[in-house]
Amino acid sequence: MADITSGKPQEPIQSRQTPPGRGLSDRQKDIIQKFAALGSLVILAAVFATTSSAFLTVNNGMTIALQVTSIALLGIGATYVIITGGIDLSVGSVLALAGVVAALAVRDLGTPIWLGMLIGILTGSACGLINAFVITRLKLPPFIATLGMMLIARGVALQITGARAVSGLGEAFGVLGNGSLFRIESIDDQGFPVVSFPGIPYPVVLMIVIAIAAGFLLNRTVLGRHIYAIGSNADAARLSGVNVTRVTAFTYLVSGTLAGLTGCVLMSRLVTAQPNEGVAYELDAIASAVIGGTSLIGGVGTISGTFIGAFVIGILRNGLNMNGVSAFIQQIIIGLVILVTVWIDQIRNRR
Amino acid sequence: MGRLPLAVGEPEPARLLLSLEGVAKEFPGVKALQGVSFDLRAGEVHAVCGENGAGKSTLMKIISGVYQRDAGEIVYKGQTVHFTSTLQSEAAGIAIIHQELNLVPHLSVAENIYLAREPRRGFLIDRRKLFADAKRCLDRLGVDIDPHAQVRTLSVAQCQMVEIAKALSLDASVLIMDEPTSSLTEQEAQLLFRVIRDLKAAGTGIVYISHRLDEMAEIVDRVTILRDGRYISTDDFSAITVDTIVARMVGRPLEEKFPAPTRQPTRDVLFSVSGLTRHGVFSDISFEIRRGEILGFAGLMGAGRTEVARAIFGADPFDAGTITLDGRTLSISDPRSAIEAGIAYLSEDRKGQGLAVKMPVDANLMMANMEAVASGAGVIDRERHRAASQRYVDLLSIKTPSLGQPVRLLSGGNQQKIIIGKWLFREPKIMFFDEPTRGIDVGAKFAIYQIMDELAARGIGIVLISSELPEILGLSDRVAVFHEGRITATLSTRETSQEDIMLYASGRSRHGE
Repeated sequence: MADITSGKPQEPIQSRQTPPGRGLSDRQKDIIQKFAALGSLVILAAVFATTSSAFLTVNNGMTIALQVTSIALLGIGATYVIITGGIDLSVGSVLALAGVVAALAVRDLGTPIWLGMLIGILTGSACGLINAFVITRLKLPPFIATLGMMLIARGVALQITGARAVSGLGEAFGVLGNGSLFRIESIDDQGFPVVSFPGIPYPVVLMIVIAIAAGFLLNRTVLGRHIYAIGSNADAARLSGVNVTRVTAFTYLVSGTLAGLTGCVLMSRLVTAQPNEGVAYELDAIASAVIGGTSLIGGVGTISGTFIGAFVIGILRNGLNMNGVSAFIQQIIIGLVILVTVWIDQIRNRR
Repeated sequence: MGRLPLAVGEPEPARLLLSLEGVAKEFPGVKALQGVSFDLRAGEVHAVCGENGAGKSTLMKIISGVYQRDAGEIVYKGQTVHFTSTLQSEAAGIAIIHQELNLVPHLSVAENIYLAREPRRGFLIDRRKLFADAKRCLDRLGVDIDPHAQVRTLSVAQCQMVEIAKALSLDASVLIMDEPTSSLTEQEAQLLFRVIRDLKAAGTGIVYISHRLDEMAEIVDRVTILRDGRYISTDDFSAITVDTIVARMVGRPLEEKFPAPTRQPTRDVLFSVSGLTRHGVFSDISFEIRRGEILGFAGLMGAGRTEVARAIFGADPFDAGTITLDGRTLSISDPRSAIEAGIAYLSEDRKGQGLAVKMPVDANLMMANMEAVASGAGVIDRERHRAASQRYVDLLSIKTPSLGQPVRLLSGGNQQKIIIGKWLFREPKIMFFDEPTRGIDVGAKFAIYQIMDELAARGIGIVLISSELPEILGLSDRVAVFHEGRITATLSTRETSQEDIMLYASGRSRHGE
C-alpha cells in the first residue's frame, strides 16, 4: 500500500487548500489554557497567603488536599462522562448509598472492613452500570437516566438505614479516611507527641494515583481515544468501528465506581455512614471539570484540567473560610468563578 | 481591477442592482479578500467561481452583512450600504441561500420558511395563512413537499429545496445562491433552473456560486473569477469556455478532468451481493465488483444507492440477501463486523459521519484502526501512531500544517483525503465512496479521482456513488443504475451515455426497446 502513488505527480494542480495557520495550534492553546488555570490557582494561593498567615502551611496544604479528594475523584468520573457528551447527576447519591452499604456490611454482617468497603465500591459500580444500561440500551438521555438514579440511590440509602446515621463502626473503619503515609512523629521530653510532618493522608494518595491512572488511560490508550471520538462525533466513531455502546458504558461505570470509592473514603473519615452525605456533590464534580476546560458538548477535556479545577474550588473554600467569609458569600464567589472561567474559555476558542 | 461596472452609453443598460468596488477583508493572519470588484444587474445570473478558499463565501457574507468590509465600497440600488446583520440585508431585499443548511429540524416546513417572519393575527400566528403561503412558495418551485412535514423527516435534497423556498418567500431583489445544487439530482437541479429563469424574467439579480461548472451554461449570464482572495476577471458566460474558467481559477491550465486509468479491470469477481432487500427501502439488489474495477452507482436522490451501501456496511439493517467477498459469505451485523471483513464506507456526509472535526489529523487518520498502533493492552505507541499518521499524510498529499491540526480547519479536499487515509490504514478490500467529491474544488477532485483509480489498480474493489453523471462516466468501468430501490440496469460505461443512464434512472427503460 505504501507505494500507492509513488512515481506519479500526486496533484497536478497546485491548489491552495490549507487555510493559513493562525499562529497557535490547538495543542499549544491547550497548554496555554492549562497554564492559565494553573496561574489563577497560584494567584489565588498567593492572595490567601497574604491575607491569612495560617494558609501557607504544610498542615493547611494537607487539609486542602484532603478536602479536594472527593471533588477530584468525582470530577474524574464526571470528566470521562462529559467528554462523551453525557452527564452524571447521580454521583452524590451513589456515594451516600455506597458508604452506607459498606458501613452496614461491616456493622450488621460482620464482614472485614476491606470487604465491606469493596462491597461499597461495587455498589457504586453497579449504579454506574445501571446508568449505562438505561442510557445505551433503553436510549434515555443521560440527564434523565442519572436524574432517576440520583433519586433512587438516595431513596435506597435512606430506606435501608431508616434515615439514621450508621455509627459504632470501630476505629479501624476510619483508617482509610484518617490515616496517612510518611507521618513523622516523635515523643518529646514531657511525653507529648510532636508531629514534625503530618504525612500525606491516604485519601490524597488515592486521589493522586487514580488521577494519574485516569489521565494515562484517557491520553495514551485506545479506550481513551475512543472516549474522545465518541464525544467529538458519535456517528463517525460508530462508522469507524468504535464500539460506542461499550465505551460509553465504561465511562458511566468509572463514574459510579469512583462515586462508590468517594463514599467509602468520606464515611471512613467521619467513621460514621450518613445517608444524607454528598448532597449536590455532583455539581461540584461537574464544576471542577468545567473549570478545567471540559466542554459539556463533548469531545474536549483533560484530567489535569479537572484536577486543577477541583483545587480551584478547594482553595477558594479553604481560603475564604480562613478569612471568615460566610458560606453564602462563598457560594456566590464560586458561582461567579464558574461563569467567568467558562466565559474566558469560550472567548479564547471563538474564531 | 478598476473595471467600470457598466460602459457608458451601452444600449439599453440593464439596471444595476449591486456594485462592489475594491472590497477588502482581513482576518487575523489571513487576507481573505483584496481589491475585489463585482456587480450585479437586474435580471441576470452572475456566477462567482473560485476554488475553496478563494474568498467566494467571504464575499457573500460581506454582501449580506455577516462580515463587515475593511475597505471598499458597496452600492446597493444607488446607495452606499453598510449592513451589519443579515436581518438588515434581508429587509433591504438581499437574500442568501447558505451552503450549510440552516433549518430547524423540529419545526414544520412552513414554520421554517417563515421563521421570525410569521404572518400574525394580533399576538397569534395566522396558521392558515402561514401554511397557504408556504404551499404557494413550494408550488412555485414545483416540488412536492408537504408544508406540514417536520423538517427532520426530509431528505437533504428536500431540505435544500426548503431553503430555496425560504429565500424565494422574501421576494428579494438580490438572491445569493451558494452551491444550491450540491445535494440535488439532475432532475431537481432542472426544477431549480426553471425557477431561476422565472426569477430572472421578473428582474431578480442572482449571484450564483457553484463547483458544477457544466451546469452553469444553462442559466449563467456572466461569470466573475476569484483566486486567493483576489479579483481575476469578469466575462460574459457565452464568451468564455469552461476550460478557461478552470484555468483562471487554479492559476494555470488544467489538462484533464479525469485521470487516465491505470487500472486494468479483470473478469475475476471480488465481491458480490445478491438479493439484498430491506423492506420498503430497496429490494432484490444484486451486483458484483470485479478485481481492479470501479463500479458506479447512478440514480436519482432517494433511489436507494446510499441505503444499499450503508446496509452492506452494517450501518443499517437489511432483511434478506447474501454478501460474498473473495468467495466467502459474510455475516455483517454492524459496522465493526463489516470493517473487519474488509469493507470501508466513506459517507456522503463527511462532517456528520466521517470525521471527528474537533480532533486532530492524526487521531482521525488512526480512528478506524487504533489497535494497530497500540500494544496488546491498548496503550498507544506514540511513535508508531505518529509514523503511521505521517505516512498517510505523505501518501495522500494531505496539506496540513501539522499532525496536531484539528480537522475542521482543513479544506474539504484534505478532509476527504483524511477519511480515505483512515480507511487505507485498515487495508480494505472493498471501498464505497459516497459522493466523494461533493463540495470539493476542482484541483482536489482530480487528486481524489487519481487515488481511486490507483486503489482499483492495486486490486481494491471500488464503488462510486455519485449524483454527477459526468463523474460516473469519467471514472467508473461499469455502472449500476438505481431506480426506486431497484437496480434497473448494469451498463458498461464505455458503451453507454448520460442519456441512457438517465432513462434507466427515471424508470422509463422499457420504452425505447
